[in-house]
Amino acid sequence: MRWWAAVAWIDQLLHDGQKKVDEIEVFYVEGSSVSADTKKKKVNLATISKECGLGIRTIHKGRIGSSSTNDPDHWQECLNAAIASGKLATPQDWEGLPDVVPLSRTPLSFDSTLRIEPKVVLDLIERMLEGAGEHPAEVTAGSASLFTAMVTLANSRGVRYTNQHTGVSLSLEAIHGQSTGYEFDHSSFLDKMEPESVGERATFFAKESDNGKDIATGDYEILLSPLAYGELLGNVFVPALSGRNVHAGRSRLSQSLGKIVTDPAITMYDDPLLKGANGSVHWDAEGTPTRRIDFIRDGILETFAYDLKTAYRFGNKSTASAIRGGFGGLPSIGHHNFIVDGKRNEVADDRVVYVHNVVGAHTANPMNGDFSVEISNAFWMEGGEFETPIRSAMLSGNVFDLHHDICGLSKESRAIGSMILPSVKINKQHIIGK
Amino acid sequence: MSGILYYDLRHVTGQVTHIDIDNSVVESAGTSFFNKAVIRVLSKTGWGILQIDNYSPCQGKKFDAILESACRLARITEENVVLGDAPHGILSVPPMKEDPRDVCIEEKSTLLSEIEKAAQHPLVVNRRANFIEKIEHIRFTDSSENEYSYEMCRSGFNILAVASRNGNIQMGYEREHSIHGFNLRHQQSLGKKAAEIAVALLDAGAAKSGKMRAVLDPELAGVFAHEAVGHASEGDLVQEGNSVLKGKTGQKIGNANLTIIDDPGIPEFGFDPVDAEGVAVRRTEIIKKGVINAYLHNRETLSSVGNGIAGHARAMPGEPPLVRMSNTFIEAGDAMQHEIFEECRDGIFLKGSRGGQVDPGRGIFQFNAEYGYLIENGECTRMVRDVSLSGEILKTLHGISLCGNVRTMSPGYCGKGGQSVPVSDGAPYILLCDAVVGGSGMD
Repeated sequence: MRWWAAVAWIDQLLHDGQKKVDEIEVFYVEGSSVSADTKKKKVNLATISKECGLGIRTIHKGRIGSSSTNDPDHWQECLNAAIASGKLATPQDWEGLPDVVPLSRTPLSFDSTLRIEPKVVLDLIERMLEGAGEHPAEVTAGSASLFTAMVTLANSRGVRYTNQHTGVSLSLEAIHGQSTGYEFDHSSFLDKMEPESVGERATFFAKESDNGKDIATGDYEILLSPLAYGELLGNVFVPALSGRNVHAGRSRLSQSLGKIVTDPAITMYDDPLLKGANGSVHWDAEGTPTRRIDFIRDGILETFAYDLKTAYRFGNKSTASAIRGGFGGLPSIGHHNFIVDGKRNEVADDRVVYVHNVVGAHTANPMNGDFSVEISNAFWMEGGEFETPIRSAMLSGNVFDLHHDICGLSKESRAIGSMILPSVKINKQHIIGK
Repeated sequence: MSGILYYDLRHVTGQVTHIDIDNSVVESAGTSFFNKAVIRVLSKTGWGILQIDNYSPCQGKKFDAILESACRLARITEENVVLGDAPHGILSVPPMKEDPRDVCIEEKSTLLSEIEKAAQHPLVVNRRANFIEKIEHIRFTDSSENEYSYEMCRSGFNILAVASRNGNIQMGYEREHSIHGFNLRHQQSLGKKAAEIAVALLDAGAAKSGKMRAVLDPELAGVFAHEAVGHASEGDLVQEGNSVLKGKTGQKIGNANLTIIDDPGIPEFGFDPVDAEGVAVRRTEIIKKGVINAYLHNRETLSSVGNGIAGHARAMPGEPPLVRMSNTFIEAGDAMQHEIFEECRDGIFLKGSRGGQVDPGRGIFQFNAEYGYLIENGECTRMVRDVSLSGEILKTLHGISLCGNVRTMSPGYCGKGGQSVPVSDGAPYILLCDAVVGGSGMD
C-alpha cells in the first residue's frame, strides 16, 4: 500500500516539475529500525527510529539542480529549491536520465522473515554475550540493530523502481587489563549472523592481546585481516578508481589504464548482483541497471567507475556505480559489493606479523597513498596459530605500492561494509617499534 | 505517567546550503531542508528512545502516546539509570557579524569561486572549493519543565589544491568554519596558501620514522589534546570501563605546565549555549597542572562515575545525546616560540592536521600532520610530508616539556557513535620529547 500511496505525490511532483525543467528525478526513502545498546553486559537503552526523506534532482539545459527534505508534504518547496539550485550549476553535456527497462523486482538484499522488533535485538545481544563468555575479558559495550527500508526511484522518463533492504548489525567491545578487543558483523539476512562468534572474537582479541611484547623496527612479512586491509583499501585505493577523481587529477591511478597496478594474482571487481551480499541491487542510485565491473584483472587496471554525470562529461558510459548515502544530496560514484579476489592459499603457515586492525587509516594521504598507522591486536602468527601478541607499533608504507607486494590471499573472505575481502599477506612492510 | 521517571524532547529543524566548485565548474549549489526529533524516556530499567523524521510537535494524548511507546520499548532494558543533578540555563548565542542568509547564493558562489581561482598554479591540476552553511532551530523540553529554544548558524569553506609532477601527487588543504557569521569575503589568500603547500610538497621528502623531539603547531597540538586526552576523559567510556583514565583521578600524567580544558561555553566552533540534555554548559579542567582532574559528563555518567560536571551531552539532529568534547585546548604556557625551537634543537616541526584516532581503553592514539619541516640546530630546514605520530596516553604527556604563550583554536568535526559534531581544538606551540614519528623515509 505504501508504494501506491507514495506514487500519488511522486507522480504529481514529476508532472509539475516537467513543466519547468527538461528532466526530473525523485529518490524517496522510508524505513524503520530498532536497536539496543549495552553498557558492560546490561542493556542500557533501546531505540526505535522512523526515517523518511526525499531527494529531487532536476536537469535543465545541462544544469543539474538538487534539494532534499524529510517532509514529503512539502515537496513543492523542495522542487522549487532544486530548480533554483540548477540555475547556479555550470551546464554540462547531458544525454538523459535512464529509460525504464524491465528488471527483476525481487530484492537481492532483503530478508522477508526479519521482524523489526525489540525482542529480536535482545535475543541477538544475549547470544553475543554468551559467546563473549568464552574468554575471561570484560565486555565494555555492545550493540545490536535491525532495519528495513524501502527505496523508490522515479524519473520523468517513466522509471518507477522500488527496492527493499533489510539489515542486521552487531558489535561488541571488550577489555582485559589494558588490552582491547572489538568485533562486529552485519548482513541483510538474520540467519547469516553469528552473534556468538562476534562475542567470542571480541573477548578473544582482548584477552589474547594482553601482555604484548615489543617488536623491533624493521621490514616484516605481514598478514592484514580483512578488517585492517579494508581500512587501507577503502580510504585510499577504492576512491582512486572513481572516474570523477581520475578525471579531476585526484587519483594516482589516472594514467594506469592497461598497466599493472597490483600483483598479477589479484583481481578486483564490483558485483552488484551477488545473491545474499549486503550491497546487492538491480539498479544504481540513478536507475541505471547494474552489472559486474572488472576494475583489475590479473593485476591489470581495466576500467574506472562512472555515474551518469561523470560519464556524459568525459565521453564514457555509466558503470551503474552511482550510490547515495541517504535521500539527501546528489548521487556520487561508489560501489555495491567491492570484491578482492585471486588465487587463494594458506597464508599463515610461515611466520608472519598478523594485524587484526589499524588505528588512523583515515589519515592516510588519499592522493599518493602514503600512510603510517598504529596497529591493533597484532600477533606473531605461525602455522595458522596466534602466538606472541605485539604490544604497540606503527605500520608505515604506501597503499598503492603494497599491492605489488601481495603474496597470498586467505581461503576465506568476509564482508567489511560494502567490501568483501580476504586476509592479505604482503611482503616486506615497514614496522616501527617503540 | 506511570513508569516514566523522566523524559526529554529535542526537536531540530533547519536547512543546509552548499556550493561545490571543482576546477571552476559549479558541480552543485543549493539548499536542502531537515526536520528531526529525538524523544528519550527513562523508565526504572533504562532508556527508551524514539528517533522521528519529519516530527510534528504535539501535546496532550498524542504526545502521551509517544511517551508510552518509548516507555514500552524500555522494557527490554535492564539497568537502573540515575540522573545526576545539574544546573539548567542557557547562554546567549554570540551575534553574527554578517548573517549568511543576508547574502544571496549567487554572491556566495562568486566569492567561493575567487578562493578557488586563487589556488591556480601551473603545477596544480585540481582545485576544489566547498561552502557549507547549516542553520539549526533547536527546541528542547523535558519532564522537569525546562524549556529552551535557540538558533545556531555554522558556516564556512574548504579549499583543496592538488599538485602533480611526474606521477607525484600532493595536496594542500585550508579551511575556515565559524559560528560568527559569513566568512567567505577576502579569503583568496587561503586558496593561494593551499596551492603553495601542495606545490612545495612535491619537493618534500618522506619523514624518517622513529623517536625524536617534535614541535607541534597549535592546530596539531590541539588535535593531540583531543585524541590523547579528550576522548579518554568522556564519562560514558569511563563508565563502561573503556578508558585508561578510569580510576586515575589525582594521578600525574604530565608536567606541571600542562593543563587541558574542555569548554562548550566559549564562542568557538564547538560552542553550545546549552547542552543536549538542557544542562548549563561549563568549563571542565580535564588535566590540571599535569594531574588527572575531572571527566566530561552527561547527567547519567555524572551520577554513575562522579568527578566532573554534566553539561557535555551533545547530539546531531535526531540523534540521542552522547558525552562529547566541544572546544578542547591546552592552556597557554610561558615559552616564547623561538625558545621552543631552540630547546628542540634537532627534531621535526609538524603543522596542520589530517585527523586522528584513539583506542581509549588501550590508551593508544594516532594522529597525522599535513606536513612538516626538519629542525636542525633550532632552525626549520627541509620540508617533509606524510608524518604521523602515535603514543600512549599515560606516558606521552610527560613528554610535553614546553608550552608556548599564545593559544589559537581551529575548527573541525569529531565522530563518535555514528554522530559527527562540530568541535574546535587548540593549543599553543608545544615541544614534545620522545615523540614516536611514523613516516616512510628510510634515510
